[in-house]
Amino acid sequence: MEKRYRYFWSLLGAQARWLDKMSDRGLRLVRTEKLLYEFEPCRPGEYRYCVEFVGHLSREKAEDYARFLEECGYRVWFKNVNLDWNVGKVEARPWAEPGGRLASNATTYNRELLIVEKRNDGKPFRLHTTCEDKARYYRAQRRPALFLFAVMAPLAVVLRSWPAGIFAGLALVLLIRYQAALAKLKRQGEIQEE
Amino acid sequence: MRDNAKGGALTEVTFYILLALHQPRHGYAVMQFIEEKTARRLALGAGTLYGALNALQEKGWIAPCGEAGGRKKEYAATPLGREVAARELERLRELAKTAEEIMGGGT
Repeated sequence: MEKRYRYFWSLLGAQARWLDKMSDRGLRLVRTEKLLYEFEPCRPGEYRYCVEFVGHLSREKAEDYARFLEECGYRVWFKNVNLDWNVGKVEARPWAEPGGRLASNATTYNRELLIVEKRNDGKPFRLHTTCEDKARYYRAQRRPALFLFAVMAPLAVVLRSWPAGIFAGLALVLLIRYQAALAKLKRQGEIQEE
Repeated sequence: MRDNAKGGALTEVTFYILLALHQPRHGYAVMQFIEEKTARRLALGAGTLYGALNALQEKGWIAPCGEAGGRKKEYAATPLGREVAARELERLRELAKTAEEIMGGGT
């Protein structure tokens, strides 16, 4: 077993690419915790990974989705997006769907991501394939970034707080990325009828 | 999904799912059916399929069937779903007929 310690925050693509790279080196994910990723040997490039945001879903929906993916033959791990070791924490998520707006350690807090693994069949690993579905998924990810920016940016200005400024800046970067992805989809949508 | 239930126009994804579920199938079998029937032109991601199955369940066009206890969850088209698919087939036939009249059946 090999262990690695990494933190990717909300950079889902970077996390998936790193796991793909580990697979290319002959290491397959077997377990993950806050910062820890544990690997076992495999044939180089045998597996491919996708990282999906599910922090906006209720616990029931997130678990139902994970079960569905497992039924499709994938292996699935829940993963934290933040670094927080608190126990008994309750977090308000106004941007989530009903049922997921109060996240606690018993529901989806520290279980905001799904790492999904499939056996490499040479085809790109994509969970969302239609323009409409991709747009829905990007919007779901844009909402928490927008919320974080809306809270942190005024705090940074009013309190002259640089930590709040850093969070606001990071949220802005994510916002721009999702907005650009949505704009690209919109342009494609004008060309490709669904 | 932006299906036009009144006019009968369905998205290609919806129509293929309804066709796949003319017999009970689980999610992965639906993905395989669509890939096979379209010679891999249309490959649905599992996330997209999950969203589509939920949307069709909410519309009452498909429903889970059988006992899921420990087995993969299967779905099947409801009578309403079959009716919607039949209307779409009629619409496509009419469309193809008009196209052939105008284009002479050749490409």
